[in-house]
Amino acid sequence: MHEKEKDLISTFLSGGMSRRSLIKRLGAMGLTAASAGTLHNLMATQALAADFDWKKHSGKSIKLLLNKHPYTDAMIANLDAFKELTGMDVTYDVFPEDVYFDKVTAALSSGSSEYDAFMTGAYMTWTYGPAGWIVDHNEWINDPEKTNPNYNWADMLEGVRKSCAWNGVPGGELGSDDAKQWCIPWGYEQNNLTFNKGMLDKAGVAVPTNMSELMEAAAKVQADTDGIYGIGVRGSRSWATIHPGFLSAYSNFGEMDLTNDDGKLSAAMNTAGSKAFHADWVKMIQDSGAADWSTHTWYQVGTDLGAGKSAMIFDADILGYFMNGGDNAMAGELAYAGFAANPEAKAPTPNIWIWSLAMTKASKDLDATWYFMQWASGPEHALFGARKMDFVDPVRNSVWEDEMFKEKLNNGYPGYVDMYNASAPGASIKFTPQPLFFDMTTDWAAMLQRMVAREVPVDEGLDQLAASMNKQLAEAGLR
Amino acid sequence: MSVQADMPVMRRSSRLSRTMLPYLLSLPALLVCIGILIPFGTAVYYSLQRYRMSQPWNRGMNWGENYLNFFTDPDFWNTLQVSLTYAGLTVVLELLLGLGIALLLQKRSRVNNFVSIMLLMPLMTAPALAALMFKLMTNSNFGILSYFMQLAGFQDFRWASSPDTALLTVILVDVWVYTPFIMILLLAGLRSLPTQPFEAAALDGVPRLEQFWRITLPMLSPYILTAALFRLLDSIQQFDIIYAMTQGGPGDKLMVFQVEAYLNFFQSTNVGRSAALLMILWAITYVLSNIFVKNWLRLRERARGEA
Amino acid sequence: MDHMSPLERILRAVALALVVLFFMFPIFWIVLMSLQTNETILRSPPSMAFVPTFKNYAAIIAGRLDSNVASMSIQFMGNLMNSVILSVGSVALALVLGVPAAYAFARHKFKGSEDIAFTLLSFRFAPPLLVLLPLTLYFQSLGLANTYVGLIWVYQLICLPLILWIVRGYFEDISPDIEHAYRIAGHGWFATFRKIALPLAGPGIAAAGLLAFIFAWNNFVFALVLASADKQPVTVGALAFVTASGIQYGQIAAAIVMSIAPTLLLALWAQKYLVEGLSLGAVKG
Repeated sequence: MHEKEKDLISTFLSGGMSRRSLIKRLGAMGLTAASAGTLHNLMATQALAADFDWKKHSGKSIKLLLNKHPYTDAMIANLDAFKELTGMDVTYDVFPEDVYFDKVTAALSSGSSEYDAFMTGAYMTWTYGPAGWIVDHNEWINDPEKTNPNYNWADMLEGVRKSCAWNGVPGGELGSDDAKQWCIPWGYEQNNLTFNKGMLDKAGVAVPTNMSELMEAAAKVQADTDGIYGIGVRGSRSWATIHPGFLSAYSNFGEMDLTNDDGKLSAAMNTAGSKAFHADWVKMIQDSGAADWSTHTWYQVGTDLGAGKSAMIFDADILGYFMNGGDNAMAGELAYAGFAANPEAKAPTPNIWIWSLAMTKASKDLDATWYFMQWASGPEHALFGARKMDFVDPVRNSVWEDEMFKEKLNNGYPGYVDMYNASAPGASIKFTPQPLFFDMTTDWAAMLQRMVAREVPVDEGLDQLAASMNKQLAEAGLR
Repeated sequence: MSVQADMPVMRRSSRLSRTMLPYLLSLPALLVCIGILIPFGTAVYYSLQRYRMSQPWNRGMNWGENYLNFFTDPDFWNTLQVSLTYAGLTVVLELLLGLGIALLLQKRSRVNNFVSIMLLMPLMTAPALAALMFKLMTNSNFGILSYFMQLAGFQDFRWASSPDTALLTVILVDVWVYTPFIMILLLAGLRSLPTQPFEAAALDGVPRLEQFWRITLPMLSPYILTAALFRLLDSIQQFDIIYAMTQGGPGDKLMVFQVEAYLNFFQSTNVGRSAALLMILWAITYVLSNIFVKNWLRLRERARGEA
Repeated sequence: MDHMSPLERILRAVALALVVLFFMFPIFWIVLMSLQTNETILRSPPSMAFVPTFKNYAAIIAGRLDSNVASMSIQFMGNLMNSVILSVGSVALALVLGVPAAYAFARHKFKGSEDIAFTLLSFRFAPPLLVLLPLTLYFQSLGLANTYVGLIWVYQLICLPLILWIVRGYFEDISPDIEHAYRIAGHGWFATFRKIALPLAGPGIAAAGLLAFIFAWNNFVFALVLASADKQPVTVGALAFVTASGIQYGQIAAAIVMSIAPTLLLALWAQKYLVEGLSLGAVKG
């Protein structure tokens, strides 16, 4: 590379020049914007290396526990860059998603020091944190000795960043001032609508914008199309049924899972508003949901949409993303929209799933592990994953501003970027963090199943659920 | 069995080793298993604690409270009932079916031998994976079995998704996977029966059905008990099939012991309750197998006497 | 047996046909699925009209899975190897330990023999979870975590009781007279055991070994909890086809076919022992 160009880019990186004028001046030297971008990345790595001792832990080796996921694939594809940058070695164990969290629980609870860092969801840290298996990452984030100056923690979306921080007090607010950063967000999934354009158009149905429109649209498109059902949502007896579409819509109406009265938690699923919402949700599934809804996990929801058996899903955006490609029958037919269930709400407020990274407390070298953490969650790898791989739900503002990434999405995934823009400000975890999270959501899902099967009326079911929750909270000393 | 105790020829020098011999022979097997007792003891200890990993500050001995709580816990009674129903139905169905198939294949012939090996294939399919495939085959859109049901006139048969048919569906998968196990054990038993009693009965003109009740069944009973015992122990601890098909749903319809204990441990990290549940399950299997083994020993003696 | 009426013959044939249909149809369907991609598997109504492809097998054997957008590496062949190591190793160990013990219980009624036998059986009915979770703690400190040796030891929970109880039955069914005769001829205990008892019980041992092999092969939870990714058996490995971008049914089906194949071959090879030899009629006579 020519010295002149290098100098220009260095000036830019040190803040002495705007990006626009950099590209303009590089253009004058005969470089296109795209190659200037690549150059910029290359230089950025070098710049990082210059300002920060990336080689400090050279020769050390760390081991990761990972879930089989596109984010993992993207990271592994770029791992050589990290090894080169730091001189460290990284080994990893990848487990299938079906058994991944069992493996994590088994590994962490045994106190094993085998894994230095692992993939997790924010909900899981509500167990791992208090159990003493993971660390408060603030200690590293806020230490300029340990974290490179370009890490840019503030670049992480606020709602997502805060959703990964909790003070450990049952019912404590996420992201409060005394919160511990239990995990570092990596990629996150908003729950919104993915729909089959052709089916909706053919039935003359507009993209629904609130709960009653959604119910109508699902019923209409189901009636007008042979052999399909209207709306796909999860229904298995699991916490996973509650957190996606269901809780996103529920919280859009301002409803809560629990109320916190000065440290005393109480179930809040049996308010009048909650009962009305549940009644709608149950009716929607009975009228236009899958016949085998009660066994649907995320992959049945996705498979049916991809195979053209359902017209819409209200689930993770990334699921809709994958169903629009590959050998899915409906590849290229899908589109995306943000969804605010409450007609009075100004914007969607999706509950989110956050794939995160966390360091294990038992790790023998947390400082070295943090080098991996800051690289893997850093701006550069995020950009690499977003542009070149399927890292479609990055957690960094800077990546969402990247034109190449947005162009890639706009080309094949109509409405995806708009959906993101509409709902990102309101996207966060809507649950109350507390130790009984999985008990509560699993019981909730089981009760939904009974209500959909008409084994119990909605009102009565919710009263029973709330009573049972309150009893469990009391037994656990939380009420 | 006293014959062996007075073995006619015995060298003096081997007297000591002869009394020790049986212990020496069985000791290695026992030692290998004894290590398991330590974690077992740890589990007993956990079951006597208030112990939820997500609330370490609450941990402490609560002695029998986890167990006492079960008495007033409707979920526990539901779990007990579902587990026993499931185990009872699967074992009975598989025994009847397995015995029937073994009788069909009893005659020694190349075809029968080949068929009996082929019928072992479901057993060779890991239950967790078999359940995944059955889930697809019973899918209301793409499932071949759902399609057959539609052809048969059941337009809206929902298999594991409906509270009315969920139990039936998982039992069907269990029967599919495990009947071959019983079949092969009983087939071996049937073929090992001595021929004289049957020849004698045939000479006396005893009808075949009566031969079956009065000779075949009693002589086969040790085999039936062995097969039933192993199947019962597995069945009451069923996890793979139910968890993969419905995760214990719909509602609480299929919340058997292992599914409940698994969720308690891996999701709620409520180790105390999980361990107490498993201890109860262990106690049930202990009692059941004790009864079975006593009868097994008795029946063996009798079968030998009749042979 | 030999005087069946024609009606009975027909009824038996029909019953057998139904049995074969019930047990073999799902296998047949899985084989069909293994020759298709999701595109043809996920059709409604399901149909048998498709162009067979060996893509799934190729992907599994080559270790690369090209799914929707990305392609990822899979270690299914490694999983298959692990299954072989774990199953063969644990059955072998269980035979070495279990057969002499079974012989002792069958031939020598000694003090406490029934109690020891029952204790060994009782390991079979300890719920796996109950033992496994505390075991993870001890495995760490013993250095057994993540080793084949440690896993093979835990697999004894499945294999040993099965072998012990089935083989014991066969030893008891063999008349001790032959052994007595051999010993009277001046042979030692061990020679009698090796030359007479073992060969006579051979088919029973083979059958019990095969059943134990099947149960070990199908085990899922032991390796998952106790070992890292490179020691996982096929049962865990096949779940890798449940990917973030959807379930690859074709590949799961192919994985099932490939995981049944070794056991089936073994069973066919041991057919003589398993079905014919199991029955000790000749000995008992």
